Amino acid sequence: MSKTPKIIPVDFKKAIMAKVKSNEISIKPRWYFIVGSLLTVAGLVGFSIGAIFLTNLTLFLLRQHGPMGQWRLQIMFNSFPLWVPILATVGIILGIWMLKKYDFSYKKNPWFVIVGFIVSIILAAFILDYLGLNDRWSHKGPLRRFYQQVERQNSTFPKGPGRMQNGVGKGFLRNLDSAH
Amino acid sequence: MSVISNLSDEEIAEVVRTKDKEAYAEIIKRYQTKLMRYASYIMGDDHMGADVVQEGFIKAYVNLNGFNSKKKFSSWIYRIVHNEAMNMLNKHVKQLPINRVVEFDGGVNLENEFIKNEMINHAHLCLEQMPIIYKEPLSLFYLEEKSYEEISDILRIPIGTVGTRINRAKGIMKKLCQKHQK
Repeated sequence: MSKTPKIIPVDFKKAIMAKVKSNEISIKPRWYFIVGSLLTVAGLVGFSIGAIFLTNLTLFLLRQHGPMGQWRLQIMFNSFPLWVPILATVGIILGIWMLKKYDFSYKKNPWFVIVGFIVSIILAAFILDYLGLNDRWSHKGPLRRFYQQVERQNSTFPKGPGRMQNGVGKGFLRNLDSAH
Repeated sequence: MSVISNLSDEEIAEVVRTKDKEAYAEIIKRYQTKLMRYASYIMGDDHMGADVVQEGFIKAYVNLNGFNSKKKFSSWIYRIVHNEAMNMLNKHVKQLPINRVVEFDGGVNLENEFIKNEMINHAHLCLEQMPIIYKEPLSLFYLEEKSYEEISDILRIPIGTVGTRINRAKGIMKKLCQKHQK
């Protein structure tokens, strides 16, 4: 391969320096880049916290179905607040997108960054759930009302064994009672 | 200006953003040929390459405060030109690359010059058919003589991927050239 392929010689100096001298183009101020970096950090932290919280909430709602609850998928999908895991997934995707804006990310294997981020989010959510923060938040504090609302949305079908009465769950009975 | 020419690229960038914006002329002088060669090669056309480089120099000047002087200036400016080239290629995605104009120098040995030009043309014909993801690392490594680390910084891909792409590019180049000879 030739190291000196012939190219048309172009003098950019005159054209660009004329724009520089006439202030047609000017250097963006330093604060512009500082604000940009701060927003990137805030975005990453925000999306991470959001994703952790919503993943944790998903785990909490799944746990509420009691043992073997996952087997009643059909009933569960009918009433499960699907927006929670969907938003958690969106948070994870946006978090990864923000993470890729950092200089270090391209030096690592992209799959390592993606899988690492997802695993950290799920692990953090598990830890929050394990520490019982969900139970605490659902009973007191500023998130109480939000938790109760989501729980109500999630409890329109029978929970756990022994909750069924004549093949109909308590939630259904409640609805039937109100219908009469 | 003579003092400026003794400074490193990173030092000149610092001078431009803090003291003397006209020192940017030295940056242009140092990089215009290299960037023009790189952009023309990527775009497959000198005129489009010139547009890319001009836009690249303007963007580099406007965003000079975003440059981290602890890093290499050359990688930063090559990265800007790479982005510009990718943007322009995306715009002209349906447009076929125009063949390079061969300039004949008034040399003494016309036969040698003819063979040399034929070989260059043949190499360029093979290269033009190569996918951009292989073409770029190959040009940065062989034409611009950049290290794997610098290529990784310019293209924002892991160093291992740079090595893999260069090796694959060599294989593709061999196959393409053999196909042309048949």
